[in-house]
Amino acid sequence: MEKFQKYYLSVLLVILYSSHLSAQVNCTAVEGENCKKACEIFNYWGEFQGFRESQEKLDEAIELCPTFSNVYMEKAVPYLKRGDFETWKQLIDKAVELEPQKHLGYRGWCKYQFLRDYKGAIADIEALEKIYPTGYLGYSANGDCELHIAKAICYSALGQKEKAIKIIEQQISAKDHNIGFFDYYQLGVTYFELGKYDKALENFEKQSKQNDFAENIYYKSKVSKIRNKDYLDLKKLALKSYDEGKTMKDGYTHHFNKVYRAQIEEL
Amino acid sequence: MKNLLFLLSLLPLLSNCQTEKASVSKYPAQVGDILFDKRTDDPNFKRCIPENKYAYQYYNDSKGFQYKGEKLAIIEKLAKTDLTADGKFNGYIVVRFLVNCEGKTDLFRVKQIDSEYHEVNQDNQLKDKLLSFTKSLDAWIPKEIEGKKIDYYQYINYKIVDGKVSEILP
Repeated sequence: MEKFQKYYLSVLLVILYSSHLSAQVNCTAVEGENCKKACEIFNYWGEFQGFRESQEKLDEAIELCPTFSNVYMEKAVPYLKRGDFETWKQLIDKAVELEPQKHLGYRGWCKYQFLRDYKGAIADIEALEKIYPTGYLGYSANGDCELHIAKAICYSALGQKEKAIKIIEQQISAKDHNIGFFDYYQLGVTYFELGKYDKALENFEKQSKQNDFAENIYYKSKVSKIRNKDYLDLKKLALKSYDEGKTMKDGYTHHFNKVYRAQIEEL
Repeated sequence: MKNLLFLLSLLPLLSNCQTEKASVSKYPAQVGDILFDKRTDDPNFKRCIPENKYAYQYYNDSKGFQYKGEKLAIIEKLAKTDLTADGKFNGYIVVRFLVNCEGKTDLFRVKQIDSEYHEVNQDNQLKDKLLSFTKSLDAWIPKEIEGKKIDYYQYINYKIVDGKVSEILP
């Protein structure tokens, strides 16, 4: 019995950890009895992500209210996380078709984070900008950054470094912008790639003040090495930070411009 | 806390439903479950958690992708591998598999999708080579959850640009 309890407790912890616990919807505000029921199913079964019963119940919700976009999005999530991108895309496309203003940013972010589909991500984020031409587009699903920054990263990946810099700087200087976890770092690396080391260092220093981590210190060390300055203390510090777990981390994927321990060692 | 206890009480119910409904549902017990297939899988491969029990994913323990030498080791190994193949395919080749509690792998399943996310079979040579390459990876780090050794599902998604691997994901 004790074994049984332990097993289910650990399974539960896993569910609670890995579920993205999507924002609950206020179902009283939903119009129509069937859509209200669908909403309640979504709120309840969304927390059992990936279970057969959850998928079946979400299907029931779709039958009850085929225009309730959140259900398609929720049903799609386990396919995304588990590598069935074809099924994910079919479902998330349906959500976007029904309510683009709500799901375009999320789909765009996922295309970038899970598939490095840079062009696809840019297309979604730029379509969202047409809906919301001013102000924020919202944050990435993992909370790392505002979506303008994500778009800039995609341009950087496609080799359009100047354009990426322009977008990031414009966004960072926006009045109400909340700096993301890695905004200055990504800007710094982009400058570094263009050989503009003063600007790169300036941004790595800003990143250090806001949220320092091994990759950022590694790049500071690289700049010092290029300038024939002492870089070994910084290298040592980068390795120490890495070993202490102060790195760019994500439970699902690897970050853009992630640096691995062996690369720091080789410097 | 109330919600937590309620969810806990519901889990045995979910588990029971899994076995009873297996023959009628269009869904597996868990999205992404891979069941043993004697035509392709190794009968001697050890599953530490039976296939009808809750299946863990690589991201369930917060450590995420766990390979000795990190993903860089896989990138470097791939760079040394002959992946010459005909064709100019653009899209993804996704290999899903199970890492058991000893870090060994089997139950490989491969799927190829184009850049519009539709399943295709354009470049089987490259698909076969990437499947063999994935099978050759032998430094997966076993995982434990709550002190218990587990099996976990992992995938590698090879992004292909003009017939060549441009990135290894996740």
